[in-house]
Amino acid sequence: MKHENWRLALPFLAVALIGLVGCGGGGDTDSAPTAPAVATAPALDPSQTGSVSGTITVAGGEDPDSEIQMDADPVCAGLHDGAVHSETHVADDSGNLANVLVAVKGVSGSFGAPGEAATLTQQGCVYVPRVQGVLIGQTLKVINQDPTLHNVHATPSANPEFNQAQPFQGMELERTFDSAEVIPVKCDVHPWMQSYIGVVDNPFFAVTGADGSFSISGVPAGSYTVEAWHESLGTQSGQVTIEAGGSASLDLGFGG
Amino acid sequence: MNVWFAISSLGLLAVTLWMVLGDFGRPWKRYQAEFRDLERASIVAEMEAERQALNQESLTAVQQELTAERERLDGRRGEIDELESNLESLDRQLFAADAQMRATKSVLDAGKYEYDAALQSGDEGAIENEKARNDGLTEKWIAETRVVEDIQGQIADGQTALEEERAGLTASEGKLADLNSALDGLETRLATVEKSLDYFLVNAPLMDMLAPSLKIEQVMLSGLFHDINFTTIDRVDRCMTCHVAADREGFDGEEWAEPFRSHPRLDLFVSDASPHNYSDFGCTVCHSGLDRATDFVRAGHSPVTEDQKAEWEGEYGWKYEKYLETPIHPTPLSEAGCLSCHADQVWVPRSNVVDRGRKLVTKMGCYGCHNIGYEAYEDLPKVGPDLRKVASKTNAGWAAKWIETPRDFRQTTWMPHFFYQENIAGDQNKAFQRAEIESAVDYLWENSAAATYASVPSGNSGRGEELFNSVGCTGCHVIDAENPREFYFESLERLHGPNLLGVGSKVSAEWLYAWIQDPKQYRPDTAMPNLRLSDQEAADVVAFLMQSRKTDWENLGRESVDAAARGDLIKAYLRTTMTIEQSEARLAEMSDPEQRQYLGRQTIAKYGCAGCHTIGGFEDAKPIGVELTEEAAKPLHLFDFGHSHDVPHTKYDWIRTKLQRPRYWDHGKELVKGYEELYRMPNFGMSRTEADAVTTLLMGFTKESVIEQRKAGDPTTGPALAAGRRLVTRLNCQGCHIIEGDGRRIAEAMADDSNLPPNLASQGARTQADWLFGFLHDPSSVQLRPWLDVRMPTFEFSDENANTMIAYFAALDEATPFASDPPSPSRRNTALGGEIFGMLQCGRCHPAGPEALAALGGGEADLAPSLLLAKDRLRHEWVPEWIKDPQLWVPGTRMPTNFPLQNGELVSPLPMAIDQPTFDDQKSRMMRHFGSEDELKEFLGDVDQVSAVLRDYLWSL
Repeated sequence: MKHENWRLALPFLAVALIGLVGCGGGGDTDSAPTAPAVATAPALDPSQTGSVSGTITVAGGEDPDSEIQMDADPVCAGLHDGAVHSETHVADDSGNLANVLVAVKGVSGSFGAPGEAATLTQQGCVYVPRVQGVLIGQTLKVINQDPTLHNVHATPSANPEFNQAQPFQGMELERTFDSAEVIPVKCDVHPWMQSYIGVVDNPFFAVTGADGSFSISGVPAGSYTVEAWHESLGTQSGQVTIEAGGSASLDLGFGG
Repeated sequence: MNVWFAISSLGLLAVTLWMVLGDFGRPWKRYQAEFRDLERASIVAEMEAERQALNQESLTAVQQELTAERERLDGRRGEIDELESNLESLDRQLFAADAQMRATKSVLDAGKYEYDAALQSGDEGAIENEKARNDGLTEKWIAETRVVEDIQGQIADGQTALEEERAGLTASEGKLADLNSALDGLETRLATVEKSLDYFLVNAPLMDMLAPSLKIEQVMLSGLFHDINFTTIDRVDRCMTCHVAADREGFDGEEWAEPFRSHPRLDLFVSDASPHNYSDFGCTVCHSGLDRATDFVRAGHSPVTEDQKAEWEGEYGWKYEKYLETPIHPTPLSEAGCLSCHADQVWVPRSNVVDRGRKLVTKMGCYGCHNIGYEAYEDLPKVGPDLRKVASKTNAGWAAKWIETPRDFRQTTWMPHFFYQENIAGDQNKAFQRAEIESAVDYLWENSAAATYASVPSGNSGRGEELFNSVGCTGCHVIDAENPREFYFESLERLHGPNLLGVGSKVSAEWLYAWIQDPKQYRPDTAMPNLRLSDQEAADVVAFLMQSRKTDWENLGRESVDAAARGDLIKAYLRTTMTIEQSEARLAEMSDPEQRQYLGRQTIAKYGCAGCHTIGGFEDAKPIGVELTEEAAKPLHLFDFGHSHDVPHTKYDWIRTKLQRPRYWDHGKELVKGYEELYRMPNFGMSRTEADAVTTLLMGFTKESVIEQRKAGDPTTGPALAAGRRLVTRLNCQGCHIIEGDGRRIAEAMADDSNLPPNLASQGARTQADWLFGFLHDPSSVQLRPWLDVRMPTFEFSDENANTMIAYFAALDEATPFASDPPSPSRRNTALGGEIFGMLQCGRCHPAGPEALAALGGGEADLAPSLLLAKDRLRHEWVPEWIKDPQLWVPGTRMPTNFPLQNGELVSPLPMAIDQPTFDDQKSRMMRHFGSEDELKEFLGDVDQVSAVLRDYLWSL
């Protein structure tokens, strides 16, 4: 059926046709099965959107302080006057938890990546910010502002892995990601350096600040699952209904 | 007569019509027609989606741009017309000027001849004349050439000007074409699946004998045959007559059901570019089934579930084709087909189920009782412990209980249950089994050689636990009281050595201390290596392990044996060579110890214990099970389904049942058979998943007659790969290392991923054979990664085994086992390499000088191997390639690339960096080797040269 050598048959068909005139019949192509429809991006009419905000907390509050020893690289140690603390678990006395990636799940539609690049900076031998979200297709720019060698080693599972040395101050690299996941980024030279890039498929996400709060606006009205991800505590999620023009609130807590 | 003739001719006509319609209505034609409809609908939907997705804004924008451009050009019509008419007139001028120039040139060429002739004649006047004429002509020709070139220049300028005028229009047209390209492609595809009048005519009844588009799709597999007794016939696969989209991408979404789906992994199967392409391998080489069938039932489709079976029975009138010896493998067993060609390769790259089956068979030691004539299972060491000194290791009470119910002691053990199985569960058999168990233990203890062990220094169990969890024990051992064996199905390497749960109740501390320090003194062919623990470290580990106890398995006494039952068993054995009277007399002569010895020996022989254990007196024991090499090729009627009708009568159902319930096929025969005639295969406690994997493997044991050219593997590297894989399996290298992309199970037991053993990807391309040979013999001779707690143990490789590993790694990377001569780097290259080494700060991770190596002991330089070893260890051709792109060689490596990838090319950041004031010193030193800064930068920008001089620097260390 790959090659329809129907031309060979034409002379015979001509003869046959004489006898077949009037013997109708034929395929009703309109009755063919239909394939599933493809979703299209909804237009984001500001009057049809709402916002969600809240606070993420952790039981037990503040974690025992852990100071980073940078002595291994004198350059790093020289970049700080005081002590540097690990950001693995940043919470205040009331348990408000920072560095939590909060994302609205399952918003239908496709969202183009913003032209603006997200930035990850190596500054004082620490990755800044610790946690951030980028959209699929959005450029992530990684900059070394330190006068020492860093290597940017991303260990994703769905996106391709990369490991790029940045031996010179001011060096930059740019990457984009095709699949949604949280990608750990480390520096093998300075094992304390760690960052997480949450690759997301819609622009409705936020990272909690020092007070554990977040706010996401412009979300199309609807009911959604909101997921909060923390690097060591895992994920928590909650349901939220966002009304057009309304502001919903959602607080989530980790067991600690 | 006429009447009869009329009736018979009508009858003939009717039969003919019946035949024509029957042929017209064959099911495969329906499938092809239906697929055409479905594909058409899918393309239409895709076009619709494409139109929707086509960003209307950008489309409108481009169209507006196009219109604007056209309008703009219209506005400039006058200028453009003038340009065009100018060009036309220039073309005419060029033609005329060119003709004039060529005419002059031909006169000049003739003049040159005349001049030459005049010179020949020596006539001074003529020479003078001709020279003057020639000079004049040359001048004229040059002048005319100038005119031509001038006009050509004007034309080029005019064309550029015209192109510039039209550039906007061309660009807009290009954008529009890009936007529409997907739609255009779909339209072309749609045209091929439309059901036009042609389609119905060529496929109409009777017309379809000419050139139908609905036709049987077949491939003749040259050189592959079916043996139909007395002769062979070619294999002709027709599966794609119905499975129309098997070789095409994109039919794998949920909306596509069989027979219309794409084959999974087209990069590996069916497609022309794949290693298993359709025209060479067809379908039935892997899937089995009747090659030339175009009917669902006759093809031999095998249902996976009862529901599917019921559905097929309703829809297709499906039944087991009992005369088809090779039905299609049911989907979960598909990988059985891999073995048609891959059976000699030891493992099947990228297979999952069948390779799990292989691992299970080697772990369970099936080959101890069953000959399996494939390289993976031949000449393997026994899977169980050596029992020739067993009395020095544990006590007889423990051993008796262990033989009775091993999984009660340790739920993950590979030691199977022989006793209290379903065919011997009756009360009348209890005394027989007790007599067998106790006698076997008596025999083992009586024949156990004496051994004495040094006493254990006092150890610190906390330190022992740390050592156990960090030096590498966990690559092969777990201490797990909770998880069943199936938990480790995907990581069987972790159960390579025994689960050490309860070991403190099993062995003596003295034995354990001696075993850890030198396993080979107890068992010469053990796979357990020596981790080179100091006496104190070994004592610490012993202190830790001896804490794991099962108190109900301690201080066990021996159970009493019913003398009559023992006597009956002995008599039954004696009677195979004696009369009843003789056997009774012989029994009466035997003392109690003699009886225990006699029955013990017979029991060990009966159950084939020596298949898995080395036992004194059984040095020449033969395997007691049936050979499995061609198990799946055995005709179905040779599988004994006994009195059972609960299990479907297929080979794979029989095998799976046998694996999970080894005594099941005695079902209903227990009362007819004597105790000694019943099935003896022990019960390994296989889960369904485990049994499926082993069944899949066994279903591949066909000795399929695939010709040599089609068999997998390169004949030159094949034996090296097979031998290497055997050794990798035997020594459990993948418990700690990643080899062929798989392994390093120890990571599951280690919290700290910076303490993991290396990934051995590209080992063959990377290391020098001499170095690897030395390292395998004595890993302690090199401090390659001194920061690691985990250590490469000493396996005491023989030269032969070390060479097997070297040849294996070389074969994997298609490298020659021995590298070419090392380069002798120039001083210039060494110096430049040293500067770049400094600029890139390589020394932050690699200790690269005697001082740096001496200063080791933590800190920053604990990330990467010492480069002092590079020239003796690494291949010089490989090092620059590695520096350029480390991830390419070892995925996941901590070594970063120094050259960012830009537009698919590695780019050196050094020319940019060298201008930074920080590097002024380096720059001035490097400039000694270059004439100018540009030359230096050109060199620094050349990734190949930079990598090469870095290597040269390392070779100078």
